[in-house]
Amino acid sequence: MKPLIKGTALNYPVKVFATGFVVLALLSIPLFWFRFACETSLAVRMSDDVKSVFIRPSGLVPPEFENDPNVTYRSIVSARMRFEEKGLLSLGIFDYFIARFPGGRRSNVYFSNGNWMYFDKKSGQIVHRYTEKQIMPDKTTLRKEVQLYVGPEGVSETRDKTLSRFIDPIIDLGWIERRWVDGRWEKLRELILYDKKLRCFYKIDFNQRTVTKGPKLGKDDSNKPIQIGLLSKNNSLFRYLNWSPPRIRVPDEDPNKTGNSRTKFKPIIPTGPERDAGPYLRDAGPYLLVLDETGRIYLLDKGTLEFVRRTPELPGTAGRLPGPETYFGSRNLVTPRDLFGYEVWPLALTTYFFENPEEVRVTFGDPSFYFKRSPARVERKYLGMFAASLSRDGTAMVLAVFDEKGKVIKTEYSRFLKREDRQTSYIQSSKGFFFGAPWSPALTIGKYLAENLHPPILSVASYLTASSFEAASGHRALFFLPNSFIAMMGRERSENFAERFFSALWLILPSIILAIWLACRVSKDAVVVGLSENARAYWIIGTLAFGLTAYITYRLTRPKITLVTCLNCGKMRRPDMAKCHRCKSDWHVPELTPPAWRVLKGAEKVDGGPTADAEETVVE
Amino acid sequence: MFALIKREIQDHIVYFIGAAVFSAVFIIISISLIHQYDPKEPPLFSIGFGVPAATIVIFGICAMGATQMYLDKTRKISALLSTLAVSRSRILLARIIAGILAILILFVPLTIASGILLRLLSPPVPMFGGMVFEISVVVFLMAFACYCIGLQTGWNSSALTPSLGALFLTCIFIPLILIKGFGVHIVVILVLFIVASLIRTWHTFMTTSL
Repeated sequence: MKPLIKGTALNYPVKVFATGFVVLALLSIPLFWFRFACETSLAVRMSDDVKSVFIRPSGLVPPEFENDPNVTYRSIVSARMRFEEKGLLSLGIFDYFIARFPGGRRSNVYFSNGNWMYFDKKSGQIVHRYTEKQIMPDKTTLRKEVQLYVGPEGVSETRDKTLSRFIDPIIDLGWIERRWVDGRWEKLRELILYDKKLRCFYKIDFNQRTVTKGPKLGKDDSNKPIQIGLLSKNNSLFRYLNWSPPRIRVPDEDPNKTGNSRTKFKPIIPTGPERDAGPYLRDAGPYLLVLDETGRIYLLDKGTLEFVRRTPELPGTAGRLPGPETYFGSRNLVTPRDLFGYEVWPLALTTYFFENPEEVRVTFGDPSFYFKRSPARVERKYLGMFAASLSRDGTAMVLAVFDEKGKVIKTEYSRFLKREDRQTSYIQSSKGFFFGAPWSPALTIGKYLAENLHPPILSVASYLTASSFEAASGHRALFFLPNSFIAMMGRERSENFAERFFSALWLILPSIILAIWLACRVSKDAVVVGLSENARAYWIIGTLAFGLTAYITYRLTRPKITLVTCLNCGKMRRPDMAKCHRCKSDWHVPELTPPAWRVLKGAEKVDGGPTADAEETVVE
Repeated sequence: MFALIKREIQDHIVYFIGAAVFSAVFIIISISLIHQYDPKEPPLFSIGFGVPAATIVIFGICAMGATQMYLDKTRKISALLSTLAVSRSRILLARIIAGILAILILFVPLTIASGILLRLLSPPVPMFGGMVFEISVVVFLMAFACYCIGLQTGWNSSALTPSLGALFLTCIFIPLILIKGFGVHIVVILVLFIVASLIRTWHTFMTTSL
């Protein structure tokens, strides 16, 4: 059934797709804000017991310190989520600036505050400017600004092509963190970096102005490091991992006591400055932690720049990122992309031997910069590491302790304390997040309904691509929803595919019912407005797939033609069609036969005899 | 074609003057922001003045699109022009070019001024180089997308529908920047939205009786 106006038929599908995209974009934005409001409200209402996890004793402290009779508080490792900050800071505009400011994951500037260090893409060299203090013979201090250019082949004070080029370097951000805390950073001149494209580790010594190149990782080597040294993701959002050594009570006569209640206890052995001790404590001793894109964490020997080889004593890996328990089950093997946030805290024991053989000092981490005298010899021993991960949707957390052989010795998951009839029980934190707090069920239903207004086909696509998207980007998704309930089910791996898929379809049942109802409405209306059978079928399929979006699109693009009554079937039909779209009858245009009477000018006698009526119709 | 564009500019000269004025205002705001920058005190005056100004600008751009189409529909401008040797597609093209010119008058001087200021005052570290370009592209595309919303809602005989419709849809659409930031994703969405909107506008304009 072809329309009489040809041009409109050619452009109609194009117009429909264009309108469909406009509608989809404009509908997705308010739906996003509604889901966002529900998730943020749920996060704010979450009780405190869900937000933190701790392990006491931490499990890595040698027994002679942990079980010391003077110890009042045993070592503790704790992780804390910051639900409240998750909401706004997960938005794209904040992520954009956080990622691009110095130190961010998309910035080539590692730090900039008077002094700076950045990777210059044009020259392929790292530019580092710092202020050097020189003590003159008259004991005055001279400050000198030094700018160095670092390439794979060496260090120079001028930009020199012979230094060669780095291509995609990643540096140990822990080095920068320690540099900020330590005012006397001159001793912190050894920086390790890895070039993703050159697949090589480099050690830069700013004092000696040398670059040491490690062995190149082979093409067959499956290791693909993505972070070295300080391993963390979204730490501006979740600075949550903390370790505290065993503490002893400080006697009253202790001269260091200042009267502050916090100084009543002190670490059993030194850990560096009481405040900001983290960067010193987070030290892997002779090794550097290297995070692989698979989530494994390897140990790199700082001296040889080689991965620690597998031996019965030390299997080479320090552990891996732990997988949190989520609403529809847990996964042990998670990659950094699957996690909204993670943080790793290595622990080492350092023994300093001084010139006096009896003078030996043992510390956690490496706070030697605060020693007044330099030790004659230093022994570093790696003890293990703590790793905390935050689930993709930010509702569950896990804290794991790995020993020096990379074996998990303790794991703690976030839990929700449920109180019912004077009985308390712990349930999974994700379940507590959605249904535990007051008004949470209502907000969860709100989020669920908003997800069900989304096009069903995009919900199914979210299910199929649930793990493909980077976790943090899922929080600002508009079309595919990796944090929707159906996508959560898509990540579950416990049942076979068919069972999981049909269970997932149950989850979007309201969406499917809505789509079917809207498709019926479209079908009925399409018959009335006279769309062809093919067009009707496409619209029904489209509405089943895209639900509300397709229905709005249909209402905006349906032919706006005034219908007339068909003489054959009596139903409404389109006047621009050659045949009635209801009964297929031809277009019966009434023949325009001239009337027998005429309007005459002036009085005229009409054949057939004058009548009084005819005379009255004569117009002057 | 040039005559058509000139006529569009003359008919909507208020918007072009407004674009130039607001461009100057934004340049002054950005200069004062950089000059009076104090990390301890947020630049409340500049923010307090800049946010309403930006809101007016975005709604103004949307209003320009709506006005162009609404006046055409009610005053039958295209109907008149079609009696001359001018095709409808040319009339619409001239209208869109005029809209783009107004947006460029607003943002190009501002982008150039921001680039120069950052080059003069920021440390010799490549901190904001990419950001200025990315933000400028997204802001231009967002402004153009809002203009397209105006074009779509403006083709209406009623005065209330274009005004409220454009206002409502713009309010919905602008927070897309909050959701997606200034990265590649938003550029893709905005480009697709603009193409889809222009197709829709073109189709409506070409097939509706004038």
